Amino acid sequence: MTVRTVLLLALPVIAVFALTRARRLTAVIAMGLFSFVIAAVYLLFHAPDVGLTEAAIGAGLVTFIYILSIRKTGRLVILADEAPGLLSRENEGITGLEWEILSGFARELGLDPVVRFLPRPEIGHALRRGEGDIGAGGILAGEETPGLVATPGYLPTALFRISPAGGAGRIRHGFEYFGELADAVRRKAPLAATVDLARFMGLARGDLTGYTVAREEGEHAYAFLVPADQPELHSRLCDYLNRLQESGKLDELVRRYLE
Amino acid sequence: MSRPPLALLIPAVLLALGVLALFLFTFFPGGEPVSPYLARDAAGETGAANLVAGVYLNYRLYDTLFEVLVFAVAVIGVRYYLVGQKEGAAPPIPESPVVRTAADLLFSPLLLIGVYLVLFGHLSPGGGFAGGVVGGSGLLLCAIGLGGEVIARRFHETALERAEWLILAGFLLLLLVPVLFGAAPGTNLLPQGTVGNPVSGGTIVIYNILIGAKVFIGTWVVIYYFTRHRGEV
Repeated sequence: MTVRTVLLLALPVIAVFALTRARRLTAVIAMGLFSFVIAAVYLLFHAPDVGLTEAAIGAGLVTFIYILSIRKTGRLVILADEAPGLLSRENEGITGLEWEILSGFARELGLDPVVRFLPRPEIGHALRRGEGDIGAGGILAGEETPGLVATPGYLPTALFRISPAGGAGRIRHGFEYFGELADAVRRKAPLAATVDLARFMGLARGDLTGYTVAREEGEHAYAFLVPADQPELHSRLCDYLNRLQESGKLDELVRRYLE
Repeated sequence: MSRPPLALLIPAVLLALGVLALFLFTFFPGGEPVSPYLARDAAGETGAANLVAGVYLNYRLYDTLFEVLVFAVAVIGVRYYLVGQKEGAAPPIPESPVVRTAADLLFSPLLLIGVYLVLFGHLSPGGGFAGGVVGGSGLLLCAIGLGGEVIARRFHETALERAEWLILAGFLLLLLVPVLFGAAPGTNLLPQGTVGNPVSGGTIVIYNILIGAKVFIGTWVVIYYFTRHRGEV
């Protein structure tokens, strides 16, 4: 079998591979590979000019243009503040239960999950401005505001109120990032904050002596936020969460990350 | 019997006509075949070692002129239709350092390869179209790595537009100059030089440079307008 035959046989294989990929970036790279192979075929057929142009335009320019155009549509942008166990930075990457859920969801849609860390109070505004697709990181079900829809709660949780034991000193409210809150606890700064279970566990890993901790009344559950103008994304996410729950995969993930 | 939809009928008829034309061409060959002639005489006549360049920038210069015009019209179309669209407002997602570093490292070699392809298009595979696209891809890679606006700030937009028109005007003038000397438009009046020398082929090199510059600018303009109005870099 000559090189020419091998390359010609590879062409339909690569083409079918590119067409059947769910992840867009993989499909685009496969199309670039197709162009390279067909450029080599042109070269072997004594048409170096055509081969060169095919490589420059098909493998170079067109691939870049596709990459540019899937940048916006090919990503699932998750807006979140850090919540230990749910979604947090670890070395270079991101880890946690919600990251696991959302990256699985993104894979199913053929998108690349990207996390942008934002202060918790700003997540809603940013979602409404269309800067992201999903709000995560310890969002509570029922936390809806106009323009945003939450999924049903997928995991029960609780709220804890932390306040200085003596009530002395100037109390600080409001924390931009979870990191700031953890830092304040470490420095034993007088602070008052209401945190969810995951963040509370993260704080309790440090030292909470000197603070009064009280569990707040009421039933709460973790959920995700989706902009109201993306009803399809919302229903697909709900469907995905349902399936995770029914297959028992969710329980397994919860055990892995939160126990 | 239900009639087939028009959207299917028209392509089917066109396909049938195309196949028929192919058959007719095969059954009624006209005159002396052109390929042996080109292989024998083209290099000597045009001064270009790369026969492809010799054909499309000498014998078939009119085809190339209209190709360049089609490209220019496409660029004008993109400009005209996208300038009214609202600009994308989403903040850019920072690109990974891998892409940035790769863009930094690859930009100069890509530009160099582009220039080489343009200047040596009459000697080896390449030419204005391929070279311009390679240079434009380098610019696009930089736009992916550093952000389109960073690149756009380095180019003066009106200057770019003027350069495009100047190149087009230069192309047409070069085409018409032989008329003043009593030759047909597009005739190669410059000395041919020794075939295989960097300085050979007469006007072919000049056409290649003009086309290369035109394609380079056009590629950038099209992509920049698309990313600014329809997406983001």
